[in-house]
Amino acid sequence: MVENLHQLLAGISIAIQPGNFLIALIGLVLGVIVGVLPGLGGANGVAILIPLTVTMRPVPGIILLSSIYWGALYGGSITSILFNIPGEPWSVATTFDGYPLAKKGKAGKALVMAFLSHGVGAVFGIIMLSFFAPIIAEFALKFGPAEIFSVMMLTFSAFVGLGGKSPSKTLVSIFFGFILAAVGMDIVTGQLRMTFGSVDLMGGFNFIVAVIGLFGLGEIFLTVEEGLKMEGISAKVTLKDIAEGSRALVVHWKTVVMGALVGCWMGLKPGGATPASFMAYGFAKQAAKNKDEFGQGASAGIIAPEAAAHAAGTSATLPMITLGIPGSPTMAVIMGGLMIFGLLPGPMLFKEHADFVWGLIGSCWVGNFIGLFIVLAFTPLFAAVLKIRFAILMPAIVYVCAIGAYAVNNRMIDIYYMIIFGVLGYAFKKLDYPLAPMVLALVLGDMAEAAMRQALIMGHGSPLIFFKPPIALPIMIAAIIIFFMPTISQLLKKKQSSVGAG
Amino acid sequence: MRKAEIVVAFFFVAIGIIAIVDAVRLSFGWGPSGPESGFFPFYLGLGTLICSAVVLTKGFKEFKKEGSGKRLIPEGGLKPILWVLVPSAGMVVLTEFVGLHIAAAIFLVFYMRAVGKIRWVTVILVSILLPASLFVVFDKLFLIPLPTGMWGSKLIPF
Repeated sequence: MVENLHQLLAGISIAIQPGNFLIALIGLVLGVIVGVLPGLGGANGVAILIPLTVTMRPVPGIILLSSIYWGALYGGSITSILFNIPGEPWSVATTFDGYPLAKKGKAGKALVMAFLSHGVGAVFGIIMLSFFAPIIAEFALKFGPAEIFSVMMLTFSAFVGLGGKSPSKTLVSIFFGFILAAVGMDIVTGQLRMTFGSVDLMGGFNFIVAVIGLFGLGEIFLTVEEGLKMEGISAKVTLKDIAEGSRALVVHWKTVVMGALVGCWMGLKPGGATPASFMAYGFAKQAAKNKDEFGQGASAGIIAPEAAAHAAGTSATLPMITLGIPGSPTMAVIMGGLMIFGLLPGPMLFKEHADFVWGLIGSCWVGNFIGLFIVLAFTPLFAAVLKIRFAILMPAIVYVCAIGAYAVNNRMIDIYYMIIFGVLGYAFKKLDYPLAPMVLALVLGDMAEAAMRQALIMGHGSPLIFFKPPIALPIMIAAIIIFFMPTISQLLKKKQSSVGAG
Repeated sequence: MRKAEIVVAFFFVAIGIIAIVDAVRLSFGWGPSGPESGFFPFYLGLGTLICSAVVLTKGFKEFKKEGSGKRLIPEGGLKPILWVLVPSAGMVVLTEFVGLHIAAAIFLVFYMRAVGKIRWVTVILVSILLPASLFVVFDKLFLIPLPTGMWGSKLIPF
């Protein structure tokens, strides 16, 4: 423990070196802008900038990428409070009470409460990250291929069981992602798969291109279809707002802590931030004395989901750096960035590149704190970004997306793929096929296949290897239970209602 | 909505079949070095086929019972989408000839004028300054060469 604290301090000192600090600042500002603009979320912003980080050393590179993520987490609340448009999926719950409060003329207070709750959520998330990451990594060192594969199974079954979408559509998404990942050369035998003689297909599909298309262009199509109108409430954050907001946070301290804890817990699971924000909102409403206030601008209704979303976003870093399994598309993209640096996320990262990992954790601390000050000080400027006409923003976003898609591999075909993925993303969103598991499957495809093959070889072809005690067995059982969760809960409900009727 | 549901489900059925056919070509059994190349894709294809068949039958049932239901793209929604999609695709095709920055500048001018009806001053400023600054950042500062197309390197001789 003492040793970890020592390393944490060393990591923070890496993060506050002038060069790294400056990079964090740039990343945060870009991140807030990306978070404010609908159609350009965290996953996208990181994906577009990955090519720029290739020329950097790993530590500043990862600081840039993660700072964009923290910035996007903060930025989402500006749009939802001032414009009643969720900039990010996890800020949907914030619009319920944030916008009404802003309409009452308390926009400044609403923003301060949101930002401070983000700050508290971040602290909870990072504390968990700082102290549990080394322990989990140590434990994960014992993992063999069968165990790694079972953890992946757990991840994907969480999408099916807890994702709340149609299980068959979620499964189709997952399989489709894995199939896309399999296109190209088979790393074990060198045979070409599903290329049909095409040279372009030999290179396979890069998931960063997929992210830019699915989330960037797809989102733009959705936005123009709805005929987006930007009618914002202009707001300044005054010192009085800061005082009022902080007082509200102290009064509702239980809500903050509850939200942050819900976030930490949900963030460990894939796709956690959005459900975490809704859960926290629900809990806050249940616990409140005056329930009618909710929806009219209740402070607790802003605090709870914001704290939960940021805590979840932060704690999602934990499975990524310790197990190499990202919980959200943004984390998947950041992990893709790590792989470009030649660093393979997973337990060995802690052993071989301890300075890198602790630099990342240190920058979580530093980045979240500077982020808080940036948004408190400059909210009006960021909100002004949304005042730019959409007809100017939209082509500019498409342009930047095209740059990002091309620069990943310097391949022209990737820009075409980006457009195709954009159309697919639009259709999938409309028909309720979840995108996050598809992206994750595309990222983890090669690793999952390698783990499965190695495990099967070790087990001489018997799939029983995936149920080997002591580690793989409980994980697999958990995966199966979570997979059938919707069915189980339905059965239980039926039983209960039949008992009630009888 | 239901028609689109069925079409997309058919798309996935086709993907599943492609994966299976390719896996059979590669053989999906147990080779000298463990599972063969087609092993993983075979089960992926099988999974896709089964799950999309479930989606498909559900879609057909609902279609028969309740008709086609809501439109996938609401009334008046298709036009703005095509106004984005077609010029974007045009930009990509144009990139093959004049390079990304010039193609994007043309795209910016077109969209801002034709859809946004924005003042010419703004249009010209944005479509010169944005590509120029991105050119400096990517091509010059970070040395990431963006596509120049067939004639792009002659058009921007820096």
